[in-house]
Order: sequence, then C-alpha cells, then structure tokens
Amino acid sequence: MLVQQLVNGLTLGLLYALIAVGYTMVYGVIGLINFAHGEVFMLGAFLCVSALGIGLPLALACALSVGACAAIGIAIDAVAYRPLRAAPRLAALITAIGMSIFLQNLALVIWGSRPRPFVREALPAFFGQTAFELYAVRVNGLQVVICLVSLALMAGLHLFIRRTRAGAAMRALAQNRVCARLMGVSVNRVISLTFALGSGLGAAAGVLTAIQYNSLTPTMGYNAGVKAFAAAVLGGVGSVPGAMLGGVILGVAETLGAGYVSSTYRDGVAYAVLIAVIVLRPAGLLGQNGAAGRDKA
Amino acid sequence: MMLTYRLRLLLAVLAGLACACPALAGDAVRIAVPAAYTGNVAAYGDNIKAGVTLKVEEINAKGGVGGVKLEALFLDEQCEPREAATVAAKIVQDESVAAVIGHLCSSAHLAALPAYIKAGLPALSPTATNIAISEKNKDKQGETWSFRTIYRDDFQGRFLARYIARVMGLRRVAVFHDMNDYGLGLAEAFQAEARSLGLTVTGVEAYLKGAQDFTAQLTKIKAADPDALFIAGYSAEGALIADQAAKVGLTVPKFGADGLDNEDYIKIAGPAAEGTFLTAPFLAEAAGPEAAAFIDAFKARFKRDPDYMSANAYDATGLIAGVLANTGPARDKVREALAAMNSKDTAYFGVTGPTFFDHNGDCQKPAFVKTVADRKFVAAPLQMAHDD
Repeated sequence: MLVQQLVNGLTLGLLYALIAVGYTMVYGVIGLINFAHGEVFMLGAFLCVSALGIGLPLALACALSVGACAAIGIAIDAVAYRPLRAAPRLAALITAIGMSIFLQNLALVIWGSRPRPFVREALPAFFGQTAFELYAVRVNGLQVVICLVSLALMAGLHLFIRRTRAGAAMRALAQNRVCARLMGVSVNRVISLTFALGSGLGAAAGVLTAIQYNSLTPTMGYNAGVKAFAAAVLGGVGSVPGAMLGGVILGVAETLGAGYVSSTYRDGVAYAVLIAVIVLRPAGLLGQNGAAGRDKA
Repeated sequence: MMLTYRLRLLLAVLAGLACACPALAGDAVRIAVPAAYTGNVAAYGDNIKAGVTLKVEEINAKGGVGGVKLEALFLDEQCEPREAATVAAKIVQDESVAAVIGHLCSSAHLAALPAYIKAGLPALSPTATNIAISEKNKDKQGETWSFRTIYRDDFQGRFLARYIARVMGLRRVAVFHDMNDYGLGLAEAFQAEARSLGLTVTGVEAYLKGAQDFTAQLTKIKAADPDALFIAGYSAEGALIADQAAKVGLTVPKFGADGLDNEDYIKIAGPAAEGTFLTAPFLAEAAGPEAAAFIDAFKARFKRDPDYMSANAYDATGLIAGVLANTGPARDKVREALAAMNSKDTAYFGVTGPTFFDHNGDCQKPAFVKTVADRKFVAAPLQMAHDD
C-alpha cells in the first residue's frame, strides 16, 4: 500500500507543482504573489471543456485553453499590476485579491455554480480504465500522462529559463530590475512573458486536474491555489526547482498523512510539514535570501 | 460577490411584496412555503413548489378549506440560514398565515425555528432530516412547534446498515464520511447498527467538504478489503469518490443517503455511478396504489416524474389542509391538532404512507432503495420489508 500511496501522492504533488511554478515565477520576477493564479488554473479547465463542447478535438482544445490563459495572464498583469508597478507592494496585493474574486465570479456568471464533469467522450480510452498493475500497485494511464506531461513541461521551463536569452532576461530581472533595464532588457515585455508562461502552465494543470478528478467548479481555483502557494513557499518562493520539489513533497505528505495518520487531518499533516520546513529554513528548501536582496533594489 | 448581494436585495424586496400583497386580499387561508427558489439548490425548491402547488390546486378545485381558498406563499431563502431567519421574521408577522410548510434545508430550518416558536406558528418540514431539530423545536412549556413528514438522518444510517446486511447479504463495510454534522450523524448511526447486526466495519475515513482528491483514503479503504462502501455525504464529493474508487480498483457496491440523491451524482460520476444504492422516502415505481393518481396528475401538470420532495410536500400540504379544515386557521389550534396526530389511528394517509408524529414532532416513514442503472435512478430490484 505504501508504494500505491506514493504513486497517488506523486500524481497529486506534480499537479500542485505545475501550479506552484506559476506563483514562483511571477514572485521571482516582480516580487508579487499573484493571487489570481488559482483562477487562471480554473479558467484553463473551463475553457478546455467549453472548447470540447463545440466539438474541437482534445489536443486542439488543450492548446487553445493554454494559449487563451497565457493571454489572460498577460491581460491580468496589464490591467491589475502594471499600473501599480511603482506603488507600494500592498496595493498590488490587494488588486491581486480583487482580480481573483472578479475572475471567480465571472466564471460563476458564465458557467453557473453547479459542478460539471469533464467531457469523457473526448478522452482516449487508456486514460481512465486501463490500469497496469505491478506487484499490486495500480497505476492508470491518466496518472502516467499527468506525471509525464508535468515533468516534461517543468523540464522545458527549466531549460527555457537556463538556456535561452529570454530566460536569461527573466533571471536578470529577478536579480535586479533597475540594473536589467540599464543592460537593455525590456522589462515589461519580460514580465508579460513570465505571466504568459506561468498562466499557460497553470492552465495545463487545470486541464489535467479536471481530467483526473472529472469535476469543474468556479471555486476549484481557491483550494488548488492555496495548496500550490504553500508548495511554492515550501520549496522557496522565487525558485522554480523549489516549486516543483515543494509540490511533490506537499502532495506526498498529504497522501501519506491521510493513509497512515488520519484522513481527518490530511491537510493538517501537509501543513505541519510546511511549518516545520519554514521554521528550520525560513527561505524554503531551495530558496535563497533573494527577497531581501530585491528589497534593496 | 456584488452580484449575489444585488440578487439578495432584489429577492428581499420581492419577498416583502409577496408578504404585503395577500394581506390586502381577504377570504383565504394561507400557508407559507419558505425554501430555496434561487441559488445552488433551487432545483430542490422547485420540487417542493410543484408538490405544494399540485395539492393546493386539487383542494381549491374541491371547494378549498372550510369554504375558503387555500393559498401558498412561496418565499425564497436560498437554503441560507441567515436568509431563512429573515424570511421567518416576515412570515410570523403576516397574520393571515396559519402554518408553515418548510423549510427545505435543515440548517435553514434550525435558523428559522426560534422565530416560529416565539411567535407561536407551527411548521411542518417535508425534507429537513437533521436530528438536532427534534431537540430545538419546543417552547418553554415543552410544546413542539415543528413537525416533519420525513425521517431523520439517523434512521437512514440504520436503514442502510439493515439493507446491506439483510437484503444484500454483505458482511464487510467501509465508511467514508463528510466531516460535517450530516456526514458524522449518518456515519455514527450506520456504524452502531452495522455492529449490532454483526457486520465488520473495515475502516472509517473522513473528508472535508470541497475536497477533490480522495485516492489516499480510498487506497486505504481498499487495502482493508471491504465488500460495501458507505458514502455519507453530498453528491458533489460523492460523485468524485465513486469515480476515484473505480480508478483505484475498488468496485464494491456503494451506498448513500438522500445527500447523494441528485442528478449531478450520475452526471459527474458517469459509469462509476452504476452500482450505487440510495435511500429514498418515495419512489414512484415502488409506491402503493394510492400514489398512482398523484403520479399521473403530477406528470400531467409538470411533464416529469415526481421525486420524493414533491411527494412529501404534496402530503404535507394535504395534512395541513386537513387540520385547517377541522380546526380553522388559529395557529395554536393548528399546533394542537398536529401534536394530537400521535398514533396510527390519528395518522394522515397520503401518497407516502401514513404520517403521525411522536413527542418530538418526528415521524416514522418507510424508506425505499433506488439504484443507478444505465445512467438513471431506478427502483432497486430488492426492497426491504417495512415491518420495522
């Protein structure tokens, strides 16, 4: 049962990680917790289902949803955060919360409050039913897909940040915005790119979550957002590999907590791990004291 | 947020109008029917309204109650305790209201009760199943002001344990419950009865409302190898549990109470909903001959099959109308007459069987079992004899 629970936890954790990356990237670049990120995750799921609803094939629907959410991410930044770039950080935090409430209610108006299923007919058969079993450990096709897609996306992101010029510009911005601008980095363009990437990954996580749990509600972004935010903090906010690690640790801790401690305290166990890590390492597992450095800039 | 606030304001105004207008009219006796007519559970409110409307129309076609027309006032409280308290305060001020049929939800009913008790207005709920109502429905003299035409949650739990043991012949049950009052109450009553019937409870797991991932708990449940799974919760989470149970390879029959009884359960769980058994207070297919006329009339009027809420609301309306015809519209006399319906001899016979109340205003009603076949709720092939 332990291995089975680890598989369950890993699937859940990779989904958290995929969302957490979006939080951490934005924080790394502009030092803001984008509280509307959970809503982008939710919109990703709904847009994909709506695209399937008008008869588009799965791959196209997913691509459309991810693309649309990337654009939504850029729009959120342009509308809610860019005008406040020079304002105190608290102001941007408040607009972030406002944006989150706005998007949630917008989804309520468009799609209604009742939970809806994912379009089952659009999924390949091996997703749900065909489970392969190895020594009584059951892994279904969807879990494999979630793990592979999440890992591929995050590996791609890591390479992008480390190996491309745009990635270098993002890192430069994270280190020192003023200095980066002096070196010829187009600040707003890089920030837009960061929002687009983070939101696209959030949308991908939304689609995968909707397929895995087969239920969409306008409020689904809240819970997922809180967990992913915790994962980002656990890994060290601002650090992309940290967000991945944090997500997986949180998912596994939650699953093992439910499996071996008590299902009543499932989230309690996950957050206890978070508190323990933060007490021992205030910057998170892989976090540097980047926040302090940025404050000076 | 803004929208719901505006909506509420509008509803409050509408509710105010609804209360004010009939006071101008004269010769009718009125019953208030507070329920959710907008919001998340508006579909339930619609069922109540249909049942009440049908009965009121039938009664008025036969000359009304004691020579005057019977009128129902449908007041929206969205199943929100706060709204229910506001609506209740309005209802008690309308002196033309002789009794309340409602509320729809237990939490709303509990919030509205103090107003009814204080003003001395009897209430009869067709759907509120929470056990706390039995304790909180009395005034200082110990008189009961709230009655119900539905069984309590603990009855559903016990009933399901008996059904699993005696009818299905299953021996090992796992319990998965919501951490709220409803889920806990059901799970406790179920476990107590299951143990006394000699069943083995292989594990008890819990979840929080709004959770999405249940695989950890279900993996643990599966490892204990049960042959039945009792889901004590609501359809939103219940559907995900059914779906994920199938994914972790837990294919045993699933059991649930009225909380799962919703089309959304089938819609979300899809094929995994098959093999689920639910308690229902009324089943068109399993109802006695006295219900045939009701079912036909309901189908003709509303173009759909009657559900249990409509049937219970239909009976509650008939019961109250009968009392009003005998005692007149004085509120305290109506209460006395309801309290006096305390045995099979004084029971009201409706489409859901005989209804009479114990000292707490609770009634003994038969339960039926429905199941999911081909993406539809149907009567379970095996029902339990209603001798206990």
